[in-house]
Amino acid sequence: MAAMEIHFTLNGQPVAVQAEPDEMLLEVLRRELGLRSVRETCGLGICGACTALLNGQPISTCILLAPLAEGCEITTVEGLGGHHPVQRAFEEVQAFQCGYCTPGMILTIKALLEEQPAPDEETIRRALGGNLCRCGCYLKIVQAAQRAAALLAEERRRQPGPGAAPVS
Amino acid sequence: MARPIPAWLAPTSLEEALELRARYGEEATVVAGGTFVGILINQGLLQPAALLTLRQIAELAYLRVEDASASGKPLLRIGAMTTHRALERSPLVQRGWPVLASTFALVASPRVRNQATVGGVLADADYASDPPALLHALGASVVARSPQGQRLISVEELIVGHYETSLRPDELLTEIQVPGGIEGAVYRKFRSRSSEDRPCVAVAAVRREGRLRVTVGAVAERPQYFPEICALAEGQAGIDAELAREIGERYAAAIEPLSDARGSAHYRRRVIAVEVRRALEDLHQQIIATGGGSQRHV
Amino acid sequence: MSRAMPEPGENTHRTEPDPRVTGAIRYAQDVELPDMLYACIVRSPYAHARVLRVDTSSLPADVVALTPDDVRALGLYGCQIKDQQVLAVERALYIGDPVAAVAAASPRAAREAAELIEVDYEELPAVFDAVEAMQPGAPLLHEDLAISDNDAAYFGMRPEPQRNVCHHFRIRHGDIEQGFAEADVIVEETYRTPSAQHVPMEPHACLARWTADGRLEVWTGTQTPFNLRMDLAGIFGLPQERIRIIAPPMGGAFGSKTFVRYEAIVACLARKAGRPVKLVLRRDEEWLTLNRHPSTIHVKLGARRDGTLVAKQVTCWANTGAYADCGPGVAQKMGFASPGPYRIPHVWVDSYCVYTNLPSNGAFRGYGATQAVWASERTMDLLAERLGLDPLELRLKNVLVDGDRYCTGEVMHDVHFADCLKAVAGQIGWHEGRRGKGLAVLLKGMQTPSRASIVVEANDDGSYTVHCATAEMGQGAWRAIRMLAAEQLGVPVERVHFPVPDTDIVPYDTRTTSSRSTYMMGRALVEAVRQLKENGELGYGECVNEGGLDPDTGQGIASTHWHQGAAAAEVRVDEETGKLEVVHLHTAIYAGRVVNPPAAQLQNEGSMIMGLGSALFEEITFAEGQVTNANLSDYNIPAADDLPRITYDLIERPGAEIHGLGETALPPVPAAIGNALFSLGIHVRDLPLTPERVLEASERRRVRSAAPV
Repeated sequence: MAAMEIHFTLNGQPVAVQAEPDEMLLEVLRRELGLRSVRETCGLGICGACTALLNGQPISTCILLAPLAEGCEITTVEGLGGHHPVQRAFEEVQAFQCGYCTPGMILTIKALLEEQPAPDEETIRRALGGNLCRCGCYLKIVQAAQRAAALLAEERRRQPGPGAAPVS
Repeated sequence: MARPIPAWLAPTSLEEALELRARYGEEATVVAGGTFVGILINQGLLQPAALLTLRQIAELAYLRVEDASASGKPLLRIGAMTTHRALERSPLVQRGWPVLASTFALVASPRVRNQATVGGVLADADYASDPPALLHALGASVVARSPQGQRLISVEELIVGHYETSLRPDELLTEIQVPGGIEGAVYRKFRSRSSEDRPCVAVAAVRREGRLRVTVGAVAERPQYFPEICALAEGQAGIDAELAREIGERYAAAIEPLSDARGSAHYRRRVIAVEVRRALEDLHQQIIATGGGSQRHV
Repeated sequence: MSRAMPEPGENTHRTEPDPRVTGAIRYAQDVELPDMLYACIVRSPYAHARVLRVDTSSLPADVVALTPDDVRALGLYGCQIKDQQVLAVERALYIGDPVAAVAAASPRAAREAAELIEVDYEELPAVFDAVEAMQPGAPLLHEDLAISDNDAAYFGMRPEPQRNVCHHFRIRHGDIEQGFAEADVIVEETYRTPSAQHVPMEPHACLARWTADGRLEVWTGTQTPFNLRMDLAGIFGLPQERIRIIAPPMGGAFGSKTFVRYEAIVACLARKAGRPVKLVLRRDEEWLTLNRHPSTIHVKLGARRDGTLVAKQVTCWANTGAYADCGPGVAQKMGFASPGPYRIPHVWVDSYCVYTNLPSNGAFRGYGATQAVWASERTMDLLAERLGLDPLELRLKNVLVDGDRYCTGEVMHDVHFADCLKAVAGQIGWHEGRRGKGLAVLLKGMQTPSRASIVVEANDDGSYTVHCATAEMGQGAWRAIRMLAAEQLGVPVERVHFPVPDTDIVPYDTRTTSSRSTYMMGRALVEAVRQLKENGELGYGECVNEGGLDPDTGQGIASTHWHQGAAAAEVRVDEETGKLEVVHLHTAIYAGRVVNPPAAQLQNEGSMIMGLGSALFEEITFAEGQVTNANLSDYNIPAADDLPRITYDLIERPGAEIHGLGETALPPVPAAIGNALFSLGIHVRDLPLTPERVLEASERRRVRSAAPV
């Protein structure tokens, strides 16, 4: 069996890529699609540097066999555009040092806030438990999550609509 | 020399999956959530000839409660492809088996729980995972299907060693059954290092139909359970402090713990005595609070 | 190439978002060149073995292999001791020592090819403990110990080749025997600290190519571009200017990305292949690349009954592993940090840097001070207990103040140890009860001597470009330097550019270590901007700090500028399991003048959190030289939910100098937590403070208190 073709939606665009069945999605996103925000640190699903959203939920692309992405919606930080409220909150608070873990943190917080628009500090810390930052920016990352919650709430207030859907 | 590229088998029905499983046998590595398979491949510990994914079999992801078990108690049926996250967030589970929901919420990170499945974690039989010890203590069983039919295997009989199960090469684990009628259930995860660490000692203590079942996980190749020690609680309304201490000490003496990065065998033995006792104290409080103990005791 | 790299650290009101939040930042691991190959290293499975034969005959034709025969004729290297060849040519000295390498079309093809290389070894006896390695008859790692001509070998070294010692640093201050004779009380203890991994999120990554005219170009995550260039020049017999080092921002470094790591191997492969070659390490290989020095430290401390310190003798054994790297420097700094910031008339220090068959140990955030402070500050609390004194009062009684001479003979200026101690004591509620509370103070030197230089150039569009070798690893140095330049040039920070450092363009700098860059470059910048304003086009400035210590007496100038800080911790212990919970951690750091407050806060928080990991669980474990926890499941680092209440003071003083903040808060954290445990009667000598060690120590206490006196 040779390489196979895998189809999924990446940041809103349908894509078709070549991959071997035992390759991880992380390798494919970097090699075939040129994405650099997904990064390998642990290779075990522990650190969160390779986080992407799969159908809106965070997963570790370093331990997701690429063919399992077939038909799914994959979101990486490249798909947020740069001015997403969570990204703005990270900039305002300066919640990063080397920036390597930052995309994973942003996606994890985005997913959290879509489910819980106003989490307390404890909930945020728990949600971030599996995203490691060796620079040790956790205090400011928690602040950024709180700030992002406020920015999102502000956006919802400004655009009241049925269901007040979270902004993505 | 080039590494053979594995076949990707993606059946869309259980029948097709069983047929492929029977045909490939041990040649095919079954992929449920794929987290463990991913880790093994990354570490160079697995070079599968074929990967058999169950992801596209919609009929394997479900959570149902049935009242039809022999004792008339409810039975929770969990499709093998149910993710940890789905179980942890199911109102059905949170209401009827709260200990399952809270324990699955302790596994790894939200990312892993979005991917990993209940069937997968049992079939992996990793000694340091949280769910096996709890499911063992709850008296859960799994359904193993093959083209020849199906059999029910208790979790106790399923996990036979380090990453080793009693599943046959032509069988697929398709369902997990958790009995109801629980009067109290506790899971304690003792971590010796980071809050994100796997357990150094895990204790599940369950009382169902007046009988106590204590299972200790993460300390040996497979979950540790000693019915003769648990029998000390037989006929008791609750578990008093002295009994809790005695059961803890007996468990510590009975288990031959292993040593790993999370603690030496010697240390684990010490912690087993403490954590089993604490689990029983927690269980006692729970039984008193719900009145379950006195009601059930005849 | 370098100009195209995005730069981090823009402020929040620009239209362009920070490349760290968009993922657009490019690290060394992201650099790509057309036709490049991917490298993989073949490593020794033996801790000490003669390399008999390397067989590459089963490799596919399109794979390039590098074997000992390819590198035998190349120069020896080493930033302080020349003890290393590009591959282990004669003997492999640790499990993981590179013996061969391959380059292939994909990372996967390279991994598979590496497995096809067969190596025959003859196993030799090995030694893993530094104290044992100094004993007569211990296996000898290196026959000759030539001192390097790299300018990282900036101080006198005293190798003792026949006993595995690559440096013996001494302090001889006063008369130690007389000092102990004057003491009413003497306490003595031996401490151990383990090896630890930096765990930068981005692994080591580098890419090399040779140009048509025979120049070597290397893209690599490095804190030491000029030291790297010097060693590569020696290896390849090239003039330094024939080598170009480009240093993209790093996804964390913490000391690990220093000097020659894999750049020489990749350059050899690229030369042989005639194509660019790139290497990105697998995570487990990080543990085989560079770790923190395990230490054994013996402290003997004498005082008068009133608590006045009179004599201190310290012996340090710094286990540097198979190759010296900058171990001699670490042993020196461990040595001169170990007396602590106290007035002690009689001080005698012997600090040995010792070879063993472990992976190399080198620079690690805290650089020898973490180990020294653990031993020194734990001993202060032993003394306080013996004398029945308050540990804070004991420290305040002896701590250095302005104008005091340190045991190196240098006069101390701008001294704030007492301020730091009082601040942490206040924040932890020291005076409301000391049970479960502990504190520690530190002094840590900055690289001395060193030189920093910088060029500022005016661009046609009215913006400015700073040419500077300072490496960016998340500490925010590029932004801090841009802010300082902007302030002096009177323009917004967005008008000052900081391209990725390229040794073809930037002027010399010693290196980005020891929290020196903002301070040193900040001073160099003043002159550069002054010149630029004069001629309107270009300005050059440099800053030199002079000094150094006599290796045989430890007298001289250890540091032209001291990092000063203190930590306090409050803990709770589960006495049945030994599990330690840190409730509150506070540090107070003398910051002089803060340039960029958010970055300063982040550096300090990060140091505290890394210190917490070192205190509680970070430890590389070995079995006969084999790392047994080379992954992030078996080696934990602190996570968000591990944090206690964390607070701190960055103490500023109007008109003060800039003080580096990159590491100061790390070393006192383990000692403060250890002392908090000691306030409960639990005396743990060895880091980390695992529940197992705490339980054992709390039982010793019970046995001791039960025993008749």
